[in-house]
Amino acid sequence: MSEHEAMAGMLALAAAGALDVREQRRLEEHARECPACRRELEIWSAYSQGLRHLPQPPVPARLMERTRARLVQERSAAADRRWDELMLGALVLFAWTVGLTFWFVARIVTGGELVIMGANLVRFGTWSAGSTVLVWLTAAVAALALGKRRRELRRVL
Amino acid sequence: MILAAAMNPEAFSGAPDAIARMRRGDPDALTAMISRYQHRLYRYLLRLVREPAAADDLFQQTWLRVMEKIGHYDARRNFESWLFSVAHNLAVDSWRGKRGESRLDDANGGDPGEAPGDRLRTGEPDALEQLLDFERGAMLASCMHELPPIHREVLTLRFEEDMKLEDIAEVAGIPLSTVKSRLRRALEGLRTAMDARSPGRKGA
Repeated sequence: MSEHEAMAGMLALAAAGALDVREQRRLEEHARECPACRRELEIWSAYSQGLRHLPQPPVPARLMERTRARLVQERSAAADRRWDELMLGALVLFAWTVGLTFWFVARIVTGGELVIMGANLVRFGTWSAGSTVLVWLTAAVAALALGKRRRELRRVL
Repeated sequence: MILAAAMNPEAFSGAPDAIARMRRGDPDALTAMISRYQHRLYRYLLRLVREPAAADDLFQQTWLRVMEKIGHYDARRNFESWLFSVAHNLAVDSWRGKRGESRLDDANGGDPGEAPGDRLRTGEPDALEQLLDFERGAMLASCMHELPPIHREVLTLRFEEDMKLEDIAEVAGIPLSTVKSRLRRALEGLRTAMDARSPGRKGA
């Protein structure tokens, strides 16, 4: 590749100010002796200037206000989600506490044995398994109900 | 005047303070930042996605993401580069969810076919002046509109946003050498498109 060809490949980048100092100096030296490259550099510079002065698109009406409103809405939704998570957590904890309390009471009342269909319901393993299923079923129903309510609210708003 | 100030990066000196206040959830700081960047960010997104409605939505999503991530923003980084990289990533995500148009990162950025050296020729004496008038500006914008998104992106970041190559690399998540090659191909593609529109006025 000749020096001219190498420099011709750098002209567009030169007009874009994208050459390093060494490349720029090398190109300038070549362009001083090469009218074709000088002319080509002028053309690329014109493109560069044209790109810096393109017609500007107008910003849509109330873009800032709409963005702020969406941010407020998202924050509110996020706060709702956090509150729901907190509430569900508290409900699960409460349900566990109640379940454990009832287990103690049931053991005292039944003397530690309440056999139904061959299973001792007041045995810790059976009781905790039953409580777990019950608690998580309740939590799932509550979550579904909250989600449904939120979707309805969004439709209304 | 206000628009000119908003378009000038140097005109806004309170950015670090505003960012600190944004981190504390100050709504006025957020308003100031949106106001400060709305013209540039919207323009960048519009150049990138071309559809005003999509640019509008991405603009809003960008600020939602900014508020979500502002706590992780490293104040030593250039805020503008970070802001535009957030917008870039959201645009890429939106591309991934669309059909019919190639993804931003995969968009055709092939060789223009003709090297600048092959085109060395003498243009008309008044061709350069013509390029600067409004009609030619509109034609240039229209030709730019036809380029692949990755090329539109580097052109708008370099010439309209006046970003350094290093900042463009950060925004687009590409190496500096790729920024340069994209920039060259974008310019060559633009010139090819301009030449195609004005066959009798090749070269300028």
